[in-house]
Amino acid sequence: MNGKIEYWVKIPIGPIHPALEEPEKFIITLDGERIINVDVKLGYNLRGLEWIAMRRNWIQVLYLAERICGICSFSHNHTYARAVEEMAGIEVPERAEYIRVIIGELERIHSHLLNLGVVAHTIGYDTVLHLSWLARERVMDILEDIGGNRVNYAGNMIGGVRRDIKDRHKKAILDMIQYYRQEVMPKVEEIFLYDPTVEARLRDSGVIPKRIAIEYSAQGPTARGSGIKKDVRYNEKLGVYPDLGVKPVTPKEFTGVIKGDVFDRMVVRVGEIWNSMEIIERALDQMPEGKIKAFPKDNLILVKLKKAEGEGIGRYEAPRGELIHYVRAEKGKDGPAKWKMREPTFPNLFAVARALVGEQLADVPVAIASIDPCLSCTDRVAVIDANTGKRKILTEVDLLKESIKKTKEINPNIKARPERIGIGRCML
Amino acid sequence: MNLLYATLGLIALYIYVSFASLLWEGIDRKLVARMQRRVGPPLLQPFYDFLKLMSKESIIPKHANKFYELAPVLALAVSIALLAYTPMGFAPLFATKGDVIVFIYLLTLIGFIRVLGAISSGSPYAQIGAQREMIILVSREVPMMLALFTILWRLNNIGVEKPFSLATFYQRNIWELGTPLALIGTFILLVVFLAWLASEIEVGFFDIPEAETEVAEGPMAEYSGRHLALFELSNAIKMFVSASLVVAIFFPWGISAYIGLNGTLALVVDVLFHTLKVFAVLFVSMSIFRAITGRLRITQAVQVFWLRLFPAAIIGSLILAIDLLGVIA
Repeated sequence: MNGKIEYWVKIPIGPIHPALEEPEKFIITLDGERIINVDVKLGYNLRGLEWIAMRRNWIQVLYLAERICGICSFSHNHTYARAVEEMAGIEVPERAEYIRVIIGELERIHSHLLNLGVVAHTIGYDTVLHLSWLARERVMDILEDIGGNRVNYAGNMIGGVRRDIKDRHKKAILDMIQYYRQEVMPKVEEIFLYDPTVEARLRDSGVIPKRIAIEYSAQGPTARGSGIKKDVRYNEKLGVYPDLGVKPVTPKEFTGVIKGDVFDRMVVRVGEIWNSMEIIERALDQMPEGKIKAFPKDNLILVKLKKAEGEGIGRYEAPRGELIHYVRAEKGKDGPAKWKMREPTFPNLFAVARALVGEQLADVPVAIASIDPCLSCTDRVAVIDANTGKRKILTEVDLLKESIKKTKEINPNIKARPERIGIGRCML
Repeated sequence: MNLLYATLGLIALYIYVSFASLLWEGIDRKLVARMQRRVGPPLLQPFYDFLKLMSKESIIPKHANKFYELAPVLALAVSIALLAYTPMGFAPLFATKGDVIVFIYLLTLIGFIRVLGAISSGSPYAQIGAQREMIILVSREVPMMLALFTILWRLNNIGVEKPFSLATFYQRNIWELGTPLALIGTFILLVVFLAWLASEIEVGFFDIPEAETEVAEGPMAEYSGRHLALFELSNAIKMFVSASLVVAIFFPWGISAYIGLNGTLALVVDVLFHTLKVFAVLFVSMSIFRAITGRLRITQAVQVFWLRLFPAAIIGSLILAIDLLGVIA
């Protein structure tokens, strides 16, 4: 294109790289240390989950959903259960909703503490990594106590939850909150709000301006760090959340400014840990007595769902952002005819790739870690024609056309016409 | 005959420093692990690593040229040569007038050889690591050399045998001046030297060329097996030597004279005491520093050198100069 091109170097970050927890690939064009272009390649972690789900029944998919991702294992089967409940019109007992809130917020605390450690590790601040993961052990112990497992606690069932929260758990959770309030959170705030190294590295790196965040539909802490008040628990009045004082946390409450950089995303996470602890306390307070499942026996669910027909969408604010599950049922089939999820990492990844252009190579790992990418959630789609065996790559235009068609079908009142924005185009 | 003894001494010193520096790496890893509430590796882990690497196959990239294999050997050779000019609780083995220039030259040469080896490996990560190493190299030497020559010049003024040589530190030391101004100036220069030491061994703020999570160990990205082992050893020796310089300038006192020893035994006791002081300096400049800081960006690190440490070195030097000229009584 011009004479400068010959000085540009293309560097692959990934599929295997020390900065990345999961396989993904960023092809970064560099001019010295300055980034000219970022190209994202996905699909190294495809496990064919949707294909597997088509061969399982409704309850088995619940456990499959739990294993999509190791960190937000509760979020996935919670969202899936919501989608199925909406599809079949199942009423969830109120106590079950409260238990879902409590486990979901405990999961948010552990996920955010994990991410704080990972971001500190990518800037070489290993002490913070080890100490924040040490603090995280406490909430993992609680989750193990409730669900029997550190990671896959299998809390959800269609139409309720599988395990009750007893007085013993309640006491342990309140103890844990006390410990976090007094010993962990002051130190976390001191590091992520006031430490000079952290400020030097995280301020003004990986900046996602509000406009880019809206255009690329960023989710979760990534969107809130850019100043968008977007939180499904708050905006959609999800379940019993409105009674518990949930609010979208933006960095403005802590630092007074919104820049949309890595620092702000971390501040949002710190704020959300505080918020989650408040929600858990209120939920434990207000939790009514009663049953925890809509169906006493699991096979009754299968009988009911076999007769069900239609579509359902479940939404939930996972620790990383909004999670959407879509299910479609056909009569006489004891599993989903179609199961599809939209992950927060997918839009966030392209937003952060766009934000990296013009910054330094040193900012790449920390910017990627700051959205807490979860590639095992994201990589699911390969379009292969089963009859001819041909692989088909859907372009952005095709996908946009299809999604407009689907939106019209679900809600004919929507008038907006989204425009193509051209993500992932190579500049050269 | 004298030359023969000096050569034998150098070989003994090389073996001793190899052990001591690898041992310090083990101690450092254990100490940092305890600071991070971990158990940490065994104390002798660096020895196990070294022996294991020596027995491993060394993979040479297809695009590497001859210098790739030569660089580790040269780096180790230079670090051994450096030992002959290192103050070790006594004057350097090959001490001569103006040997401080040779010392700085050899110390910089190790970094330069690392850069050459990295560029020869043909890996883009190593290229970026080499660029970063080069940038840091030219930034860190300026404040250090200014501080070092100021101190030597000041010592020269109170009378030493061979001016501008490393042996002068064992005849007169900078704390002997005793005036308040000199103490303040010396203290500022000590801070400059500790920061320089941290950047020389690339820890904490200055772990930039070998940034593991950014450029996958940078210059060392393609090295494996024996070649990596040689680089590890030369890095360990370089770490010990750099710390020795700081110890010789600011804490040169030996204990052999106090307990009335002489001859070879005095040398051995002095070396052991010197090693302890080196460990103490490294504890501050390496273990604590890397436990309480993260890595900076390369631009920020350069700013630290030129906008913080360089002015600090100038101020420290000016204070020492003012003290000598006696403008302020």
